[in-house]
Amino acid sequence: MPEHDGLMRVFWPTDIATSDLPGVIVGWRNSGLDVVVVAVLDHVDPKSVEGALKAGILLRGAPHDLDRIERLCGHSSMHVLGVTNPESAPEGKFIIEPSWVLATTGPSLRVPKVKCQVASSVQTISFERPIPNRMQYISLDPMALALADKGDPSLLSVSDGSDAEDEKQERRHRQKRRQLVDKLKLHSVVKHAPSMKDKALSRIVNQVNWAWELEHLMQKNVSLIGTRPKRTLSVSERVVEQATTMRDDAILWVWDKIIFYVFPIVRRIFILTLVSHRAAAEIFLMILEWRLRPSSPALKDISATAQQIEIRLQQFCYWPMQYVKLRLRKNDWASVTTSHPDYIRFYNSLWLVANDVIIGIAIGSYIIDNAGWVADQIGLLLRQYTVEALHSSIEWLMGWPAGLKLNKELALFLGDLFLWVIEYWSSCITTLQPLLPHIIWFIGFSSFAGASMPIAMFSDLVSILTIHIYSFYLASARIYHWQLTILLSLFQLFRGKKYNVLRNRVDSCDYDLDQLLVGTILFTLLFFLLPTVVVFYLNFAVARMAIISLKAVFDTMLSCLNHFPLFALMLRVKDPRRLPGGIRFELRDTQDRLKLDSNSSIAFSSHPPTSVIYLKPIPLSFTAMFHQYFQMGNRIRKHYLSPRVLFCLITGRFVPPIHRKVLYSLQYSMLPAKRADIIQMWDALNSLPAKKRPLGIYPYGKQFINMPSLPNGRRANGRRGAP
Amino acid sequence: MLTTAPHLHIRRPSPTTTEFTVSTLPPQTLPLRLLLAVVNLLRLLLGITVLLVLYAKWSLYSPYTAPASPPEALSLASLANALQHVLDSAPGRLAQRAAAGTPAWALGPAALAALYAAVRRVHAAESLLVLRGLGIQTSSSGATVLGAAATRFIPTEKIQDVLINEAFRGFEVRHYLIVVVDGEEDVVVVFPKLLPRRDVVERVWRGVRGCLFDVKPRPKDDDGQARGNGRRTNGKI
Repeated sequence: MPEHDGLMRVFWPTDIATSDLPGVIVGWRNSGLDVVVVAVLDHVDPKSVEGALKAGILLRGAPHDLDRIERLCGHSSMHVLGVTNPESAPEGKFIIEPSWVLATTGPSLRVPKVKCQVASSVQTISFERPIPNRMQYISLDPMALALADKGDPSLLSVSDGSDAEDEKQERRHRQKRRQLVDKLKLHSVVKHAPSMKDKALSRIVNQVNWAWELEHLMQKNVSLIGTRPKRTLSVSERVVEQATTMRDDAILWVWDKIIFYVFPIVRRIFILTLVSHRAAAEIFLMILEWRLRPSSPALKDISATAQQIEIRLQQFCYWPMQYVKLRLRKNDWASVTTSHPDYIRFYNSLWLVANDVIIGIAIGSYIIDNAGWVADQIGLLLRQYTVEALHSSIEWLMGWPAGLKLNKELALFLGDLFLWVIEYWSSCITTLQPLLPHIIWFIGFSSFAGASMPIAMFSDLVSILTIHIYSFYLASARIYHWQLTILLSLFQLFRGKKYNVLRNRVDSCDYDLDQLLVGTILFTLLFFLLPTVVVFYLNFAVARMAIISLKAVFDTMLSCLNHFPLFALMLRVKDPRRLPGGIRFELRDTQDRLKLDSNSSIAFSSHPPTSVIYLKPIPLSFTAMFHQYFQMGNRIRKHYLSPRVLFCLITGRFVPPIHRKVLYSLQYSMLPAKRADIIQMWDALNSLPAKKRPLGIYPYGKQFINMPSLPNGRRANGRRGAP
Repeated sequence: MLTTAPHLHIRRPSPTTTEFTVSTLPPQTLPLRLLLAVVNLLRLLLGITVLLVLYAKWSLYSPYTAPASPPEALSLASLANALQHVLDSAPGRLAQRAAAGTPAWALGPAALAALYAAVRRVHAAESLLVLRGLGIQTSSSGATVLGAAATRFIPTEKIQDVLINEAFRGFEVRHYLIVVVDGEEDVVVVFPKLLPRRDVVERVWRGVRGCLFDVKPRPKDDDGQARGNGRRTNGKI
């Protein structure tokens, strides 16, 4: 029988008030000998406590719905679990049931000594209660900072063929692993059925999270047990009460009127403004996402600026929804932990935007003040690196680069071709030069919308101003690739073979003599011309790689500004218990082990073998916080540092730049895949409950005055402000 | 001399809770304690020296100078003042001379290596805590004294099996204890860094089964049980 193996498990909060007075332990009984202690009530009778728990008196005046407790903690009501310090109670006060926990507590004992009549061994698991008002909680699994409402593969189904190949390979790999895991399952011979105690763990986690709030509620209501209702107030007492509360009542009345008449108008105006902004954002988003054909790239896929604007607009669309979700949290118990990751995400994105704007104002004012100087510097850099450096390198290649003797005529031809285009481009840049200060000024001005804006614009500016290098790279790669394929097929001819397209293999073939002769001569010619083409190709490929790395630096800066887990990091330093990353147990030495050893027979009869265990939360690891970054880094590494890319580079095939969508997978960890449309937002904003009177803001400090659940007579008795 | 081969230490306060600890800490004798104290003192000195040299190097280039008048207590200025006093002392001057003599590119990596040696843990300890009704928790001490132990708790519901595996590692065969977790691709290796010898692993395996699933060891074929039930699948670490 797994339930009655004689193991008693007691979860005991270390921070409940402990005294050496007799008290009644109240909490959840998950199964026979598996209990979670919530509160110890002093000066009460166990029987009346049991009655009060059944009648729900102890949870009277609960600020929110009681059904939530049942749903999350798994039981409809708490039970009397046992008593503390039964020895010091007067004889006959407690009639002890066999399954009760008998605990010895005291101010000096950190962990109570627990025994039970039917238990042969005891696990005392003590925990420090997470405080729900500070949004602390524990969880079995690490908290997910990223939004997970979509499958990753669907998001990455980029039209690019190469990525699809990677994807396919990864899927095959995953399938193989799954098969291995399934095979591993066959290895276990005996399947141990989990006992009730094993199954209760997830419920216990919830009960631990609820312990603080429930205990405070019960301690507040403990005066309602057993004592008879007091008499109603006399007339003179009422007069005194009226007089003392007159001022408060007047303020309340004024406040009520404001809430009732002014607040709805302000709110309505605010909602209308928000929705009209949302509509404008929708139009911009549609422009940014517009595609000529379903397969062609949208504006946001091409330009970093467009992408940046899109992120900001998407965030703007998502914030009201997030805010509504967080507002609804206030109408629920603080112990419900499901919306805490949302809270962190919301404030993280707000904080990042604020940060971004602050940095942006600093950068922007600098750029605007020094627009002329900055434009001069940029023009100088542009001329120096994208025109003159290229010019000199081509001229170097036209001579004898590094002592290599190239084909002079071909080198001259190719060099002249490129030089001619560079001449033309440099004249373009010269006409652009006077415009540059204005562009820089515009960029500086845009940075008041955040430092990410000028970075994105500079990234785009680099793309535009180096377009000639890109085209050189394309042209030289094309020439090189053609030559290489011709050489390969001529090599087959040289060997007397031929590539069979229909069968995808190399067949032998009988060539005529003149065919062989011409082919071989052409092969020799092309082979000797190859080095000349290679050096030109390499030159431009290196330049292209340099530009890609520069843009990668810009993109890294952008992703840091947009998605850095700043709020989570701050919370990790300030209060690690708000970022749970799992739980751990610590086995403590039993305090009276020495005594147990010396006269174990006597000790055993009074206290069963007990292990004292501490349950502690693990804070979220830094690796988990930066998980998204690692994933993105992995993806970039897989794209650029793969053998396939190297092969493409060597054979002169086009190396596809990584898709912006992959680069910005981070974005999709913070935003929903599909944004809520205007009507949804309108509904959500209007569904917010109206503002309440400011009375309920001290849920544990004061009695509630206007709680409808309180019966009338009681209310008059428990005087206002009574503890 | 400071460490021994990994050996097992079992704590069992009640029959349903057991902690198996494998550590390289030798039995504590007086000479060993003295030796450890000396080593730790030396490491502390090394760490302080390196920090002092680094501070001296930084103060060579720092634009801040110590204020002339004694600043009020408990402020940043007073801290700077105190550091300046340290630099003016005899070891401080020595550190300054050393810092001025070494180039920055050599000082940086050397200081990093020395600091790592100062904070590195001498003894490794890895443990397995078995709680009936809750699950298994593996923990492994960090590489440095600054890092906390890395723990992993596996609820009983998720434990599919606990078995002994064998693998080739270099030119030897190692037996190691693994926990197969339901729904995960990777198995969890218990004692992953120390990888204790087979007799230790077998004792732990038997203890885990006894504690977690309440399996009584059969007295007849006590040795054959491990062979029969803990199937050996070949794998590589």
